[in-house]
Amino acid sequence: MTESKKKLSKKKIVAIVVWLFVFAALIAGIVLTDPLYEQEESVSEVMEDAVLHESNKADLFGMQVNPAVVSGFVVTGILLVAAAVIRIFAIPRFKRVPGKFQLVLETAVGWFDKLAKTNSPHRNSFLGAYIFSAGAYIFCGTLFELIGIPIMTLSGVSLSLPAPLSDINGAISLGCLSYIVILSGGVVSNGIRGVGRTLKDFSLPISMSFRLFGALLSGLLVTELVYYYLALSFVLPVIVGILFTLMHALIQTYVLVMLTSMFYGEVSEPYVKKQKVGKKAAKNDKKILVNEVKI
Amino acid sequence: MPLNIDWQQILLHLLNFLILATGLTLLLYKPVKRFMKKREDEYAAREENTKKALEDAERKGAEYEQRLSDANARIAEMKKAAADEADAARSEKLRAAEREAKKIVENARVKARAEHDKIIDGIGDDIRDLVDAMAGKVALSNSVDEAYESFLKSAEEDARNEKV
Repeated sequence: MTESKKKLSKKKIVAIVVWLFVFAALIAGIVLTDPLYEQEESVSEVMEDAVLHESNKADLFGMQVNPAVVSGFVVTGILLVAAAVIRIFAIPRFKRVPGKFQLVLETAVGWFDKLAKTNSPHRNSFLGAYIFSAGAYIFCGTLFELIGIPIMTLSGVSLSLPAPLSDINGAISLGCLSYIVILSGGVVSNGIRGVGRTLKDFSLPISMSFRLFGALLSGLLVTELVYYYLALSFVLPVIVGILFTLMHALIQTYVLVMLTSMFYGEVSEPYVKKQKVGKKAAKNDKKILVNEVKI
Repeated sequence: MPLNIDWQQILLHLLNFLILATGLTLLLYKPVKRFMKKREDEYAAREENTKKALEDAERKGAEYEQRLSDANARIAEMKKAAADEADAARSEKLRAAEREAKKIVENARVKARAEHDKIIDGIGDDIRDLVDAMAGKVALSNSVDEAYESFLKSAEEDARNEKV
């Protein structure tokens, strides 16, 4: 008797839940198809602005800049505050057997340090610090777009702050800086020979900058596209926004950091004089052989 | 500029990144790396100490083993020497005892021979004295029977006296 009652009550609950779900879906559909909720800008305008940032400028210390510049400073501020808090409160309490947080920090620092040492065994202390900072900036900067901090542009349109490197200027700056770092490694290790080695890959700054820009921009465009239509703003952003952003944040961090350290290692490798291969060398070898036979 | 590339903004991004890189390096990367290095050095020093202690222990063990084997060899040598000495002493004592025994036997033999000779020499006089004494007693007795009786008594007495 009691079991049948329980079954009945379960069925009732399921029916109520289904009915509520259908009701909510219908309401959402009615509201979302209302022309009132359509955006002022067309999707092509939104896309174009996401790529070029020509119309929606933001104000930074009296300068008209792309919103990504503001994003960059915000990300830097957040990261520096977090680093200072960690430095003051967490690092002095580090234990020989690490806890979870300490383990995360040590793993991150250890990973970048190991990467620098593996790819550039001769000179790596500066490279380790650089790729750690670049990695943190790319990763956190890309994830920053998930927060969606709103900003009012100079034209009066409200925008959510994008990833700093989805702006081509940001990508160019990081790409060129990475190239300069590689060049400096070459110069310090091998002098003019290092400059020659670095200039051999003259296309590197362009490829690095545009790879970064393209990868981050593609993520941004997909997200913009999804967010543009209000009907797509439910459930789908969980996959598109978080998963894609997380993935391309990881991939781009890995790619730039890996490329920088590899090229740095290549140009900072000490020069080894190659043995002459030719007629003279062959003659010398022959002479040595004859002498050995005589002896 | 095409693609809205702006030098001022590139420089702003650069400045921003340089500030971030300096801050992160000083506040996070170096302290964490320093801590890890310190711990690594500590572990390396410990490992080194353990290795040294182990090597010390192994060396001492080998030394003790050597000493033990030396001592065993010395003990065995000493045992052998003692056994040899004891054997020599025993055989010397045996030889001395044999010599002594031979001497004693020889002396005894000489003594016995002298005694024997002495007895043999002395026995004739004794018998004569005895016969004289008995003849005298027989001659002095009243009858033959009495004489015979007195002869037996005197013989018994002599025998007793000799025993005493």
